[in-house]
Formats: sequence, C-alpha cells, structure tokens
Amino acid sequence: MSLPGFYIDDLHIPVPIIQGGMGVGISLSGLAAAVAAEGGVGVISAAMIGFKEPDVRTNHTEANLRALRREIRRARELTTGVIGVNILASLTDFEAMASCAMDEGVDLIISGGGLPRTLPGLVKPGQKTKLIPVVSSGRAAELLARMWITRYNRVPDAFVVEGPLAGGHLGFKRSALDAPESRLEVLVKDVVEVAKKLKETHGRDVPVIAAGGIYTHQDILDMLAIGASGVQLGTRFVATHECDADLRFKRAYVDSTQDDIQIIDSPLGLPGRAIVSPFLRNVSEGHTAPISCYCKCMASCGVEQAPYCISLALISAQRGNFRAGFAFCGANAWRVNKIVSVAELMHELTTGETSDSPAEA
Amino acid sequence: MSVAEKVKEIIVDQLGVSADEVLPEAKFVDDLGADSLDLTELIMAMEEEFGVEIADEDAQKIVKVQDAISYVEAKKG
Ligand SMILES: Cc1cc2nc3c(=O)[nH]c(=O)nc-3n(C[C@H](O)[C@H](O)[C@H](O)COP(=O)(O)O)c2cc1C
Repeated sequence: MSLPGFYIDDLHIPVPIIQGGMGVGISLSGLAAAVAAEGGVGVISAAMIGFKEPDVRTNHTEANLRALRREIRRARELTTGVIGVNILASLTDFEAMASCAMDEGVDLIISGGGLPRTLPGLVKPGQKTKLIPVVSSGRAAELLARMWITRYNRVPDAFVVEGPLAGGHLGFKRSALDAPESRLEVLVKDVVEVAKKLKETHGRDVPVIAAGGIYTHQDILDMLAIGASGVQLGTRFVATHECDADLRFKRAYVDSTQDDIQIIDSPLGLPGRAIVSPFLRNVSEGHTAPISCYCKCMASCGVEQAPYCISLALISAQRGNFRAGFAFCGANAWRVNKIVSVAELMHELTTGETSDSPAEA
Repeated sequence: MSVAEKVKEIIVDQLGVSADEVLPEAKFVDDLGADSLDLTELIMAMEEEFGVEIADEDAQKIVKVQDAISYVEAKKG
C-alpha cells in the first residue's frame, strides 16, 4: 500500500515523508535533494552550516549565510522537488538565516529548539515560504498559534510535533522523557485537536507532522491513522549513501547497540540523545575539552560552565572523529543494520517492502 | 486596581499559584515553578491586559514579580 500525499497550504507534498533537518552538516543539499527527488520533502539543516567556510570563526553570520545560500541553490539544481530549511529558533543568526532562506525562495522553513516567535515578521511581501514550528506538546502548539495570530495575523502552515524518541536536542525535561503523557501518539492527538480548533476559528487546514522514533512503514500508517498528515524522520536518513556526513558517522549507527545510546545534557541546557563515543566517555569522567567558544552560535549556550563546545563536537563527528565529538541519534538508531540508497529507503517506507540485500556484518 | 495588583492577579491566574506566594522578590522559575511556556503565556497575558508590546529581549529580563510590575509601570508612564 502506498502512502497518500497531502497539502501544506497550497504546496503539494507527493509523498508524506519529511526528512528532518540534521545539524551540523548531516543534512545538506545532497541528502535533501535525494529525498525531494523521490517525492518527499528534503530539509537542509542551517545549524552552523558555514562550518567549512574559512572565515566561520571570525565572521560566522556571513559564513553561515553564504553556505546556506549555496546549499539551497545546489539542491534546486539537483531536483525540482520540495526543499525546506530547518533553522533552530535559538540560533544567534536565526533571523538572518530565516530571511536568507525566504529570499532564496525555499518551499518551507521548519523551526524548533524553542518557539520561533518572530518568524512571520520576517516574511517580505510576495514570499510564499510555508512556516512550520516544531512543538513538543498541544499546549505549545496552541500558544505559538495564538502568538502568531495576535502579532502577525498568521496561522502556522503546519505543525511538526516531535516526541521524546527523536534524535538531536529534545524539547523535554529528562524526567518527562519516559512519562506516558509524553508518548508521541498522545502528543499527536493533542496537536490534532489544536489544528481542528484552528480550522473552526480561522478556516485553515493545518496539517500535523509526527516525528520521533518512526522507523517502519507500519509506524507511518499508525501515525496517519491517528490524524497526522505526514511524518518526519531523521535517524533512518542518516544510514543512506546520500547523507552528507562522513561514512564513519553512518557506520557508528550501523555498529551501535541499544546500550550505546544515551541521554546527555547538552551545553545548551537541553537533553539530547547520542551514541556514546570516546569523547563522551571522557566528558562523563570529568575530563573536559579546553573550552574555546567557536563563535557564540546559540543564544542559550552556557559556554562559561559548559564542559565542551557543542559546535566543535558536532563538526568533529560530521567528519567522523569521535575522539573529539559524538553523533546525535534517535532512540531507534541501534536497529539500523545497513546503509542503503535514499530510493531504496523511500521504497521501503512507502510500501513496506524491504529490499533483500543482506545486512552488513 | 493598581498596576501591581493587576499584574499579581494575572500571575495567580496564569501560574495557578496562591496570591500570598506572589511576593515582589519571588522568581517565576525558581520560586513559582514556571516553565518556559508559562513565561511566554504570562508575557502574552500582560500584553493583552495592558495593551503594551513586550519585546523578546525585554521579556528575558523579567525574572521576578517586581520586574514585571516595574516594566508595565514604566511602559504605561
Ligand atoms: C544527527 C541528528 C541531528 C539533528 N539535528 C537537528 C537540527 O539541527 N534541528 C532540528 O530541529 N532537529 C534536528 N534533529 C531532529 C530531526 O530533524 C528529527 O526530527 C528527528 O531525528 C526525528 O526522530 P527520528 O530520528 O527518530 O526519526 C536531528 C536529529 C539527528 C538524528
């Protein structure tokens, strides 16, 4: 059985699978274009996207904007499919990056890591980029919608609701991660209720996109059955040939066991999920990487008290160096047992048919 | 009703705390148990009640009850 497409405002999404933005440098134009070409939504992560620019430490805003523009244009050259950008609301460069993405005409912006309060205020006349906040509860969805409507008369074009099994930084306190009321099904139903109210009061369809721990075709069907219009996946797209990280990053997923996946406290004051690495072991034994702040990339970073710089650690991991970094991952990363092409993965996710190439030893 | 009384009333409503906890030096997060969504809701309720706009930079500086009262008093002149 194939999956039904859906609309975000007037934007048609042929296959209801969004590849979640993954920083730093894990989802760039390569992965995003490959997913978009298969009919899904490809998302470039803007987080510290300028990490390869020579002037990133001295001139981070310019370096990040230059790299973002280049990645968007490259993705557009590779595909006519739907391309989005993920921009964390807590980035120091948030407003500049969001304006840049809209000037480049991306189809949508997905923004989490805090509430993107000011996003609609950055839209220039004629720009049609869809604005999609990431929320971790019905309450946050309702509050954000109320704020956007009062301040900017703008209803969110969709919601991504991310549950506690997701990869990357998590929008939950450690103590709430395992709580029954934090389960993704519960959150999706709550946000679907908020969307229904918005339909009644504002006459707008606000599709809900579920994220966090979705792994199989059946998982996707389960989410659609409780009212989601689409799903966002991160972990599964890491283990693809097209993913923009070093092969060693992908191998870390393939090689991981359930015990290797841990919750860490990120320097940003949020929990995150990661695969243990020599670097993280050192940190937990109290050895700290001499802290040199890369470039004050996050407004909320407690760099003075932090044992390491999150940007440097994630850039090292992107390059496959786990002595100096670590890989973020979703709770299901241990289930990954081979690296496939995006086309194969999309086929499996949309039909439930797995290709019969053997798992890697 | 004075600004201070009105602000306190909003805090009691939004955070579900009792009026005698809302002392001028009480901190929203540490003393009144507010999370980041609570704070956002509180700011929005004050904006609606007093017809002022509170910029995000200013909102971040509102840490205790007295900060909120002083902010509105200054804005209303
Ligand atoms: C390596 C990695 C990096 C991520 N980086 C970001 C990011 O920069 N911004 C963001 O909003 N979400 C980020 N995420 C979350 C994903 O976009 C997605 O919502 C999540 O991974 C979904 O859960 P799943 O991995 O179980 O499919 C990241 C996830 C991973 C695995």
